[in-house]
This record gives sequence, structure tokens and C-alpha cells, in this order.
Amino acid sequence: MDALLGGFAVVMTPANLLYCFIGAFLGTVVGILPGLGPLTTIAILLPITFKMDVTSAIIMLSGIYYGVAYGGTVTSVLMRIPGEASSVITCLDGYEMARKGRAGPALFIAGIGSFVAGTLGVVAITFLSPPLAEMVLAFGPSEYAMLMLAGLAMVTYMSGGSLPRALLMAAFGLLLGTVGSDPMNMTPRLTFGLMTLGDGINLVPLAIGLFGLSEVLFMARRTEAELKILKPPSGLLGFLPSGDEARRSVGPIARGSVLGFLVGLLPGGGAVIASFLSYGVERKLSKRPEEFGKGAVEGLAGPEAANNAGTTGAFVPLLCMGIPANAITALLIGAFMIHGVTPGPTILERQPEIFWGVVASMYVGNVMLLVLNLPLIGLFVRILDIPRAYLTPMILAVCLVGVYSNSGNPADVLVAVIFGFIGYGLRRHGFDLGIVILAYVLGPIFERSVRQALAISDGDPMIFLHSKLSIGFAVAAAVILVAGLWPKRRSV
Amino acid sequence: MNGPRDARAAFGGTRLAALCLLAAAAVGLWQALRLDRWGFDGPGAGLFPQIVAGVCVLLSIVVLVFPGRAASTEDGDTDEIDDATRAATRSTFSLYVVALLVLAAGAAFGGFVVTVIAVTLLVLRFAERRSWRHAIVYGVACALIGLVGFGWLLRVDLPESPIERAFYSLVR
Repeated sequence: MDALLGGFAVVMTPANLLYCFIGAFLGTVVGILPGLGPLTTIAILLPITFKMDVTSAIIMLSGIYYGVAYGGTVTSVLMRIPGEASSVITCLDGYEMARKGRAGPALFIAGIGSFVAGTLGVVAITFLSPPLAEMVLAFGPSEYAMLMLAGLAMVTYMSGGSLPRALLMAAFGLLLGTVGSDPMNMTPRLTFGLMTLGDGINLVPLAIGLFGLSEVLFMARRTEAELKILKPPSGLLGFLPSGDEARRSVGPIARGSVLGFLVGLLPGGGAVIASFLSYGVERKLSKRPEEFGKGAVEGLAGPEAANNAGTTGAFVPLLCMGIPANAITALLIGAFMIHGVTPGPTILERQPEIFWGVVASMYVGNVMLLVLNLPLIGLFVRILDIPRAYLTPMILAVCLVGVYSNSGNPADVLVAVIFGFIGYGLRRHGFDLGIVILAYVLGPIFERSVRQALAISDGDPMIFLHSKLSIGFAVAAAVILVAGLWPKRRSV
Repeated sequence: MNGPRDARAAFGGTRLAALCLLAAAAVGLWQALRLDRWGFDGPGAGLFPQIVAGVCVLLSIVVLVFPGRAASTEDGDTDEIDDATRAATRSTFSLYVVALLVLAAGAAFGGFVVTVIAVTLLVLRFAERRSWRHAIVYGVACALIGLVGFGWLLRVDLPESPIERAFYSLVR
């Protein structure tokens, strides 16, 4: 506790508070704008931090990282365009809430959920970092592979459709994830000789196509009367959730916070996977699963909490083990190293002021983000007042900027458009696109784990059942799949 | 609403989607089978894609035979409206499809400004039947805001043509 108070002493200087605010603000803006990702922003700002104090630099860069989780919600709820990959799942129910005139409450719940999850995550970092770091180290490739399998099984089981359809979407997502260079030996795979597919199918055009552009096509099919439900609330009270919405969001926020933090701890985990898993869990636990995908509060609150908690949880492997959970935390490790600090188990002993300063800044940053975001909800929801005729060109321009700026490759825009049509076709016939994205994200981690495990065992598949942990995950996957098949057999 | 007819149409659409996925998975499997399943240092590049594509083919066939229950139904169907509105909606939808194609082509050949103006004209003037003046003014405004906000101030990469390059040479 003394150490944490020392951290607060570090943060509560005017300069560090300012850097914390700049980071949180930039993160929110970056989350809203599809053209700028946290990775790009941190990369751009990294040279600026060279002459800054190391703690101030990390406080600002971290603020960008966790601020993105707040900002990404806005475009997902209002336009069905995920500002960030971790906001993809928010599109499903957040946008449907907005279409029912509940955009204000959706953004409010998301903001509160993000704040609660972010703060609980920081509390967990404060007290649980050392024991959790040891636990995470117990995961080898086979445990990871089985964990991914169990995760995929759970998500497909929790889809509203039949199990074969959900499994097909998962397989389709995994297949998309294998396109491009083999991550281990760079052999081109499924590229059909096309240079443009050499780097694989990027997440940004895939997500914007499946969710953003397909939604534009659905908007085009709606009549004026159907579009009129996109009406935001007029009074200030309309932005607040109703008692029922508030009650229904408490459990998902709590569960999403815990689940998100635990997933965030795993290298390769983080906010994206956390939000998808939370959505699946909430759908299964809900008394009204039929509302999912049609504006269920639980489907918004849980994933929003999970993606923030996942972002926070990713700081544990970063700070305690020096292991990046994703590309952004890898860049943050780079920032540490540029400043002559090596994150890992020794940071708590050698430079505790940096560790606890960053942790304390996250408490402060979460409060700043809440104060920054809630008053802006009224402004954000005015977007829904814009008629379709004027909104869709704007969405298309934003999609163009988001996709093109991600790689500077015009072929990615074509890829996004193609996935826009595919997404439209699949959604129209009741296929769950969320599973495609999740499987796509999990695929490379799953494949790497499978191949590493098989390489260690010289091809013996029994390695996947060599430890109690991996047996547990394998059994869980099998039980989930069988359970998913049983009650739905009649409907097939 | 004609229930049985709708159900048949939905199943037909699902089967068509499953057929398309089957074709894609089969092509993927064909490509994956050309890769090594095992190398000198362990599992090869082809192992995972072969398994995944194979599973995808099998599942596509299962869904093709047994379409099963849909995850959710999307609105925007035009079954419950009169013929004139249905025809207008179809025309609007077709123009939006063309707008997406123009977006893809414009990113490669037209540059940001031309693409945004062209897409806005297609949507606003032709799909939504607003006046030429509205469409042109709004298109130019969207293009300029994007160019100035993203391209100049935020320095985000945008599709370039002589127009963007001329603008950047003036302001940067």
C-alpha cells in the first residue's frame, strides 16, 4: 500500500497529470477515429517522448492505450463501425440499442462499465500481480492450444444459431486467418500467387467490411419508415439508462471485469478476445438470450467492461514479466527499453517508482476518461439525427480513411468492400459474423501453439493431454460442443 | 407474410451461402494441399490450413444439407411493402452497391477527393434523389474535411492523386 501511495505521489505532479490527461484524451480520439490506431499513435509519439522523463513518457503512452478502449465504443454504437478491433463486439448490441433510440444509455453504460472494469483491473494489478505472474508462466503451448480450442467451442456454443452454422463460421474465420505468410517459416499460404495477400487479410478491412460496409448495405434496404427508429433521446434524462437497464448491466459489468482481466493476463490475449468471450458468457447466462444481437444491454455492458479490463490486465505480463500481450504492449516495452528500463520481475525491486507510478496513473486516467466521456454523450448521439442520405457518404468516407490508412494499400479497400458484400450475404441468412472475427483473431495464436506443441513432442498429439490443465481445457471443449449439439438437434 | 414461402426462401438463401462457403473452402483446401504438412523442424506450413479447410468443407456440406436455425434475423427486408416502394428500395440498394464498387476503384485510381465526391454524388443525387446542388456541396465538404482533417492535420495516409499532392505541396 505504501508503494502505491508512493506511485500516487509520482503521478500527482502537474506535469504527470497533464501527460496522463493528454494520453487519455488522445486515446479517446484515436478510438473514435478509424484512421488512427493506438499502434500508429504510440509509434508516432514515441520519438516525442525521448526527452521526457521515463515515468511521464510511459504514463502518457499507457493513457493512449487504455483510452482507446473508451473511444472505440462511440463509432461502434452510433455507426456500427468498430473504431478498434476490441470494439467489434460492441457493434452487435450497442448499435441495435442506438437504433431503438437508446444510444445515450448505451454510451452511458459503456462508459460506466469501462470505468468500473478499468478501475477494478488496476486494483487487481495492485494486489495480484506477483502471484498471477507465476500462474501465467505455467501455460505452455499445449495448454494454450487447448485453451483456444475451449474458447472457440464456448463462443460457437453461445451463438444464437445452430451449432453447425456457428462451427462453420468459426472454421471460416480460422481459414481467413491462415491466408498470407506462414508466421513460422514465411511460406506463402493460400495467396493464389497474389502479392497483395502476402501479408494476409488484415483485421481492419475485414472488420470494417463485415460490420461497417455490410451495415451500409442494410441501411440501403431499409425504407424511410424503418430508418426513423434511429431517433436519439431529446432530454438530458434520456441519456441515462432506465432502472431495468441499470440493473441488467451490473452483473455483466462485474463478470466482464473479472473475465477480461484474466484473459488480458495471457500473452496473446487482451481486449479483443476478452470482449468476445464476455459476449458469449453473457448470452449463455442471460434469461433473454433471444435479445442478443437485437439490443441486449448485457451484450453491451459485459464486452465493454471486458475489453477495458483486458487492456488493463495486459499490463501484468508487460510490467511483471516483460512479455507483450499484443503489438501495442510490445511497443510499450520498446518505449521502456528506449528509456533504459527493462520491464520484468526486477522492475519492482529496482525501479518501483516507475511501476507504481504507472499503476497509480491508471487510477487517475480512468477517472479522467469518465469525466471526459460522459459529458460528451449528448454531443455524440446527435450523429443519429443525421438522415441516411447524409450519414452514409460520411460512413463510407470514414471507412475509406480507416482501411486505407491502416496499410496505405488500395487493395485493402477492395478487400473491405468484398467482405462488405460477404458480410451482407451471411448476415441476411442468419450467420453469426462475430464468430468469424473471433476465430480470425484466435487462429494465429491457436496455430502457433499447436505447432509449437507438436514440434516439442515430435508430432505426438498426446502432448495436448499431458498436463492436468490441458486435459481440463480439452474436456471442457468436448463437453461444450456435445452440450451445444444436444438441445439443438431437433431444430436442425 | 407468407410463412412457409418465407421459410423456404430463407433455407434457400442459407443453402446458397453454404454453397459459396463450400466453394471457398474447397479452393482453400486445394491450395493448402500443395503445402508441406511436415518439415524437417516440425509441423509445416500446410498442416493447419489443411485441417481447417477440410473442417470448413465438411461443415459447409452439413449446413448445405441441414440449414438449421439462424443466429438472428436481419430487418431491412422489403416483403411487407407495396411494389412501388419495393422497386424504389431495390434501385436505392443497387446504387449503394455501385457506390461501394466506386469506393474500391477510387481508392486505387481516383484519389481521396475524387472518390469521396463520386461516392457522395452516387448516394445523394441518384440513390437518395437529393438535388444536384446538395449533392455537390455535401460531397465537396466531406472531401475537404477529410483531406484537411485526416490528410493534413492528422497526417493520415489517404489515397493520392494530383489533387491531394497539389494540396499537400501547398500546406506542408
